[in-house]
Amino acid sequence: MKHLYIKFFLIILVIVSCSKDSDEGYSQTNTQSNVQTSTNTNTGTSTSASTGTSTSASTGTSTSASTGTSTIGTSTGSSSSQGDTFDRGSILSNYSDNIIIPRYNTFKSSMDNLKNSIETFVSNPNSENYDTFQNNWIDSYKKWQYVEVFNINKAEEIMYGLKMNTYPVGKERIDNNIQEGKTDLTNPNDWAAQGFPALDYMLHGIAQTKDEIIELYNTDAKYGNYLTTLSSTMNENTIQVVDDWTTYKDVFNSSFDNSATSAFNMMVNDFVFYFEKGLRTNKIGIPAGRFSNDPLPDRIEAYYYSKNSFGNLSKTLALEARKGFEELFLGQNSNGTEGASYKSYLDYLETDIGSSVQTKLILAKDAIESLDDNFLTQIAENNIAMLLAFDALQTIVVNLKTDMLSNFNIAVDYTDADGD
Amino acid sequence: MNISNYLNKKQDSSSLAIFRLGFGFLMLFSVIRIWYKGWIKELYIDPSFHFSYYGFEWIKPIGDYTYLIFLICGISSFCVAIGYKYRISIILLFLSFTYAELMDKTTYLNHYYLVSLISFLMIFFPANASFSLDNLINKKSYRIIPKWNVDALKLMICIVYFYAGIAKINTDWLMDAQPLKIWLTSKYDLPIIGNKFFQMDLVHIFFSWAGMFYDVFISFILLYRRTRPFGFFLVITFHIMTAIFFPAIGMFPYIMITSSIIFLEPETHKKLLNKCFTLFKKFFKKISIVEVYNYKRPKITQIVLIFFFIIQLVFPFRYFLYPGELFWNEQGYRFSWRVMLIEKKGFTEFKIVDRETSNSFYVLNENFLTEFQVRQMSFQPDFILEFAHYIGDYYNNNGYSDVEVYAESYVTLNGRTSKLFVDPNVDLMKEKRGFSNKKWITRLEDEIKGF
Repeated sequence: MKHLYIKFFLIILVIVSCSKDSDEGYSQTNTQSNVQTSTNTNTGTSTSASTGTSTSASTGTSTSASTGTSTIGTSTGSSSSQGDTFDRGSILSNYSDNIIIPRYNTFKSSMDNLKNSIETFVSNPNSENYDTFQNNWIDSYKKWQYVEVFNINKAEEIMYGLKMNTYPVGKERIDNNIQEGKTDLTNPNDWAAQGFPALDYMLHGIAQTKDEIIELYNTDAKYGNYLTTLSSTMNENTIQVVDDWTTYKDVFNSSFDNSATSAFNMMVNDFVFYFEKGLRTNKIGIPAGRFSNDPLPDRIEAYYYSKNSFGNLSKTLALEARKGFEELFLGQNSNGTEGASYKSYLDYLETDIGSSVQTKLILAKDAIESLDDNFLTQIAENNIAMLLAFDALQTIVVNLKTDMLSNFNIAVDYTDADGD
Repeated sequence: MNISNYLNKKQDSSSLAIFRLGFGFLMLFSVIRIWYKGWIKELYIDPSFHFSYYGFEWIKPIGDYTYLIFLICGISSFCVAIGYKYRISIILLFLSFTYAELMDKTTYLNHYYLVSLISFLMIFFPANASFSLDNLINKKSYRIIPKWNVDALKLMICIVYFYAGIAKINTDWLMDAQPLKIWLTSKYDLPIIGNKFFQMDLVHIFFSWAGMFYDVFISFILLYRRTRPFGFFLVITFHIMTAIFFPAIGMFPYIMITSSIIFLEPETHKKLLNKCFTLFKKFFKKISIVEVYNYKRPKITQIVLIFFFIIQLVFPFRYFLYPGELFWNEQGYRFSWRVMLIEKKGFTEFKIVDRETSNSFYVLNENFLTEFQVRQMSFQPDFILEFAHYIGDYYNNNGYSDVEVYAESYVTLNGRTSKLFVDPNVDLMKEKRGFSNKKWITRLEDEIKGF
């Protein structure tokens, strides 16, 4: 009888030593948030973007192999979950097969067009080639809004999102790079000197008018050289990320355990982080001055396009971003076919948060649509409307960060917590 | 049996020795683990701001020297384990560990509080009476020690279990099976049971009730001689299960299992130790064995312990002094053995208003806090207030003279849809930190009945 204790004790020791490794996984995902932190004052740098397969418009030769329907494991709605199971893997496979990879393919082909038009423009800077370049920039920038959210694996590793869409653009840095003839943009200080905002500056910011700008390209080859560098850097990074998905897809689809390093959890984190920072804070909040004493209109996305009166894109980009987010939340491919999603998972968990977010996303759309196409005008003349659009997004952030994360109980904690 | 009779009762000193060994090595392991995982840098050195316990603002991480605190903690744990210069080691362990715990309340954990309390208690006991290096140095060991030494440790563990148990007697836990419903459902990736049983409402209810019964009754099962083996078996099963279900609770299961060893029979302790020490037997042969360890001034120690336990028994009930729902406002929540009771997540942003110009702007929390700190701050009122004051002071020192700070805060508790947490019209700069009732917390508008 007494020896029983000894046996117990030995059993504990064995189990304790064996189970050590399963202790809280260490999360790497929080690097994203820290990258962005600006110093002290209330300004805040912005990196933004959103995702989405562009509706149909413009070039968009959709290579997306018109996704089949995915009907795996959708929920039983609000009926009792007792004894039911939910296949989280089905969310991942719906996302990768029907949303992520098609979106990336669409984006990549628009990037190819952009690259070609830049090459043509650089070798022959004239008005016609300028227009093609500009149109392709707009098209790709819109499609970019549908992929920025996927900050996972290769994209996370090479800081793809920050390299493609850090704004406000580093004007002085670009001017310097142009003069130096810089071709290597891997330095983090160059994140704000490349990507779509840099193209915006090269298209609409290096001089006041289209003619003056074309003239610059004709007189000084340095501009064309930097444009080529920008284009090839963006394309190389895009190819890396898109190609990675061919191999990463299987890993992604099967990584749905509830651990800090699983694809499922990282995707949820990216998803929430993107909506809060990329969409709410960067596209609307910072320009509207919500995080500063006064509005900061020069922080809008595609700033030079509006500033020098070429046209307006910031509102369109915000709307595309919202749409891309909505489709992802609902698990819709670009044809509107629905599959397993965060929404259906929330329904399975018997909470009405999914429907609530769905409704609020429509309200947010109305709020953004009601804004002036030119955010600069909107901010100058009636900033209240900008702040109302912010509030419409804010209420969704609250649901995502409290209710959805609580219901999913996503393991992000990298330190101990005994639940108190 | 009267009191002086009881106080004269003796127990074999190996009971304290085995506890000392288990506790010391477990603490050593804890410190190594914290160090190895890089948490010292991440939690105590990297953040620019630290959340302090009220009254302990003077306890802060000390830059790179913070490693020194943990080094002292680790070395003293080892010395406690082997019983080398025991008294000074256990005092150092208590001080260094408690200091580390008080540096930033973001990392508050009930079981670390327990470690502080146990190491405090151990200061007063001759846990080096036998099976220690001190025996070899002093050339003597003691065979028996006062029984109340061991009983005090048992009482400490019983308080933890019992209070944790009655805290579970509430409608959220027993009727709605919250928060276990959320937590177990999300453990779908556990082999075999995860995506089947853990998705069932009945299973959530079962584990809730079982957990409550376990916590309430385990002390009695362990104390009663005939049920003791069964009790110890339960302790191991229960805590290994929690370790598997909730890996994020870290050291908690192992601390409780190790602590429960004290409940075993003294003869078992002795037998276990004799087995472990067979290699060292020849060293211990040369030393003289004193029959009884006698305190020089037992009364003082006893009075200290009586006060200690009165505080322990009363302190967890301080929440009675505050109106409103404890789980919501958390006034009197910590240091009360409320473990694994609430699933809470919050979203909180702050608005700075310049009184002179009435200009306003919101603060990006991540400019001041780490992601972990933001998460903890967002649903705990004392964190919200402390941070509001910190950023208010920050802006007053950086270009503003007299700012108001308002919080926009939403919190979800045990699966309820998130709702407004802080009165958005209250200037938090005007609210004092302290133990007075925080009137600016909204009401839950839902009743959780029970303890």
